[in-house]
Amino acid sequence: MRSAILFLGLAGVLASCSPDYLNEREGVQWKSIQKDLQTRLITAQSGDTIRLPEGYYMFSRSLQLDGKDSLVILGAGMDKTVLSFANQEEGAEGLKISNARAITLQDFTIEDAKGDNIKVNDTKGITFRRVKSQWTGGPKTENGAYALYPVICTQVLIEECVAIGASDAGIYVGQSDTVIIRNNKAYWNVAGIESENSSHVEIYGNEAFENTGGILVFDLPALTRYGKGIKVFNNIVRDNNLANFAPAGNIVATVPPGTGLMLLATREIEIFDNQILDNSTVGLAIASYDLVAAVSAESEAEQGTVPDGTAQTVNNNFRLDTLYNSYPNDILIRDNVYANSHWFPTLKSDFGKLFLLKSPFSVPDIVWDGIVDKELGRIDLCIQEKQDVVFLNLDAANDFENLSKDESVFACK
Amino acid sequence: MILKTSLRMKVYLPVSKIRIFLGTLASVFFFLACLYACTSEKKQNNQVIEEVALDGTDTKDIGPATLSSYGFFVGKLADLQPANDLIPYELNTPLFTDYAHKLRFIKLPEGSTMKYHPSEVLDFPVGTVLIKNFYYPLDFRQPHGERNIIETRLLTHKEAGWEALTYVWNEEQTEAYLQIAGDTRAVAWLDEQGQNRQVNYSVPSVTQCKGCHEKSEKLMPIGPTVRQLNQHGEANQIVGWEENGWLSEAPPKHTWPQVPIWDKAETGVLDARARAWLEINCAHCHRAEGPAKTSGLFLLTSETNPLHVGVGKPPVAAGKGSGGLQYGIVPGKPEESILYYRINSSHPGIMMPELGRKLIHTEGVALIKQWIEEMEK
Repeated sequence: MRSAILFLGLAGVLASCSPDYLNEREGVQWKSIQKDLQTRLITAQSGDTIRLPEGYYMFSRSLQLDGKDSLVILGAGMDKTVLSFANQEEGAEGLKISNARAITLQDFTIEDAKGDNIKVNDTKGITFRRVKSQWTGGPKTENGAYALYPVICTQVLIEECVAIGASDAGIYVGQSDTVIIRNNKAYWNVAGIESENSSHVEIYGNEAFENTGGILVFDLPALTRYGKGIKVFNNIVRDNNLANFAPAGNIVATVPPGTGLMLLATREIEIFDNQILDNSTVGLAIASYDLVAAVSAESEAEQGTVPDGTAQTVNNNFRLDTLYNSYPNDILIRDNVYANSHWFPTLKSDFGKLFLLKSPFSVPDIVWDGIVDKELGRIDLCIQEKQDVVFLNLDAANDFENLSKDESVFACK
Repeated sequence: MILKTSLRMKVYLPVSKIRIFLGTLASVFFFLACLYACTSEKKQNNQVIEEVALDGTDTKDIGPATLSSYGFFVGKLADLQPANDLIPYELNTPLFTDYAHKLRFIKLPEGSTMKYHPSEVLDFPVGTVLIKNFYYPLDFRQPHGERNIIETRLLTHKEAGWEALTYVWNEEQTEAYLQIAGDTRAVAWLDEQGQNRQVNYSVPSVTQCKGCHEKSEKLMPIGPTVRQLNQHGEANQIVGWEENGWLSEAPPKHTWPQVPIWDKAETGVLDARARAWLEINCAHCHRAEGPAKTSGLFLLTSETNPLHVGVGKPPVAAGKGSGGLQYGIVPGKPEESILYYRINSSHPGIMMPELGRKLIHTEGVALIKQWIEEMEK
C-alpha cells in the first residue's frame, strides 16, 4: 500500500507540473512587443483600450505607465496572452503604473520579473481582473517580492486573479484605501494575500492555499499611513504549510510555516465565515509588532544579502514612530470553520514546537500572543465561533508563564 | 526514515488513521518532490526573439520620425556639424551617464534671447530646443577620434511646457530615429588607461525622462544654469553669448556664480567640487521642488544646512537602500554613510541616482569618499 501511495505521489508530481500548477515554458516561441507596447503606454489617450493579442511575449526591461486616465490593458485571456520578464535586464518591476486614474488590467498572464510583477502606486482606481501573476520556477527566495502590488492607491479591485510564487506576498495591498480583494487564488507564496496599512478593505471569496501563511493583515511602523476597517470573510484558507522562503529581514520572514490567517497590530477587523483548514502551526494568529521584532532580532537576519524589489523589512526602531500602535485591537472573530488533519503542531516552526509543547495532539485554532497595550491595559477581542476551538493566550510578554487556553474571557457580549 | 516512522505508527494506530497519516506523508513527499522537479533551473534557449508590431501603434503625433528632418546639422549627419543657428555649450561639472561623452547645443528661435537667472536654469524662450548628443569615442585617449553616437535627446520648449524626445542612432550612423519607448545598446570602448570597457547602455523612455527632469511636477531642463555655464579660464562661452545679444538681463560678470570642475583641483576646493558633483548628479530630485523632496536630503550647492546635506540625518523610508546604516553622512566615516553606500552601488534597489547609470562612477565616488573623510567632525 505504501508503495502504491508513493507511486501516486510521484504521478502527482508529474501531474502537478501541468498548467494547473506551474506553466511549462520549454519550447515556447517567444516574440517581443517591447517597443510597441511601451510606445502605446506613452501615447495612450483617455478611454483607450490597449489590446494584447494571444501569444508569448518576452521583455528585457520594465514597462512603465505614468500619469494616464481611463485606460484598459486587455489580453486575450489568462494563459493566452503571456508577458514574461525572464530576460529582464533593466528595472525591477515587470509593469509599473504610477500617478494614474481608472486603470484596468484584464485577462493576461505576467511572470518572472526581477522584482514585483505589477506595481501600482499613487493611483486612484485600479482594477486587476483575471490576471495571473507568477514566478514559473515555483517558490524561490530569488523570486520577486510581490505578484500584484498596489501601494498608496485608492479604489482598488482585485478579482479572479491568480498569484503564484512571490517571495513576499502574492496579492499585496499596501497603504491604500477602499480595497476589494475577491474570488482570487494565491498559492506557493510566502504570504498568499496580504493587506498592509490599508483601510476599508474587504477580502472575501478567495482561496489561499499552500503558502507559508494564507491571509495576513498587518500594520507596520514608519509608513505613510495606518490601516483599519478590514473584513475577511468567506475565504478558504487551507494547507498553508510551505517552508518560509522570504529573504531574511523581510517582515514576512517572521511568519511561521503553517499559519492560516495572521493579524499583526491591526485594529477594527472582522474575521467571519472562513474555512480555516489543515494549517499545521495555527489557524488564526493575533500578534503585536513587539513579538515580531523580538522574533526577528533572535533569528539574526543575515546582513549583506539584499533582494530586488521593495519588500517591507523588520524595523527594530519602531518605537521611534510615536504615531504607531504596535498592538492589535478591536477584533471580532465569528462563525469560522476550523478543521485540521494534522495531529500535531508542526516542528517546522518555532511556534509549532511551542504549541506542540503546550497543546499536543491538536494544532491550535486561534492564538493570541497575549501582549497588551500597557496604556489600554486590555485587548478588545471578541470570539464567537459555532464550534469548539483550541485557543491559546501565549502570555509571550512573560516568557509564556501564564499561558492560558481559556477563550471564554473573550466571548462576545 | 519515512517508512520506519510509518511502521512504528502502525503498531498502535487504527487503520483509518494510518491511511490519513500516510496520506499526509505522501502529500508532503509529493510536495517536496514537486518542488524539486519544478524548481530545477529552466534552460534558456538562445532563440532570437523577433520584434513584432502591436496594432494601432503610431508615433506620428509625437514628433518627426528622424533626427535629420530637424535640420540641426549640416553635411554628414554623424559629423554633428551644427547649422549656423545652433549655440554649442558645455557644463563645468556634467551628469555622469556611464562615461558617455556629450555634445550639446542650444537652438534659439530667431531674434530671441535667453534670460539670465542667478540660481535656476536660464529662462529659455518658447521655441528653444536643447540638443544633447551622447557618444563614446572608440578610444577615450583620442576623444576627437572615431566615435559611436548612441542617442540624441531633445528638450523642446513648447507653449504648454518642455517636452522630451529621444532619437536613437542606427548602426551605420547615418540616421537617428524617434524612440519614445527607450532602448538598450551594447557599447564598448577603451578608457583613458587603454582598458577595455563595456556597458549595456540604456536609452531612457519618455516616461523615464520625466523621472529626472521633473521640478514642481513639470518637465524642466537641469544643466544650463549660470554656475554651470560660467566657464573657468580665458574663453568663457556666456561672455560670447552676451556679446552676441543671445543672453539678456545679465548683471556684471564678477557677480556670476560658478561651480568648479569636479576633477580639476585648480578650479575649486574639495568641498566645492564635491558639492558640484552631488548637485548635478542628485539635486534634480534631491531638492525641495524635486521628486525626492520627501527624503529631506537636499543637495543643491546653495543648501547650507548640514542636516539637509545628510550630516547626521537618519534615513526616511530608504528601506534596504540604507544598507542598515544610521545616517546619510557620518563625518570622517564614508563607510558608515548612506550617501557613500548608495553612490557606490550598482544594485538597482540601492544605487543612487536610480536612473541614468549602470556603472559606478569610480572617480566621482572617490571624490565624495575623500570629502566625507576630511569632513570636520
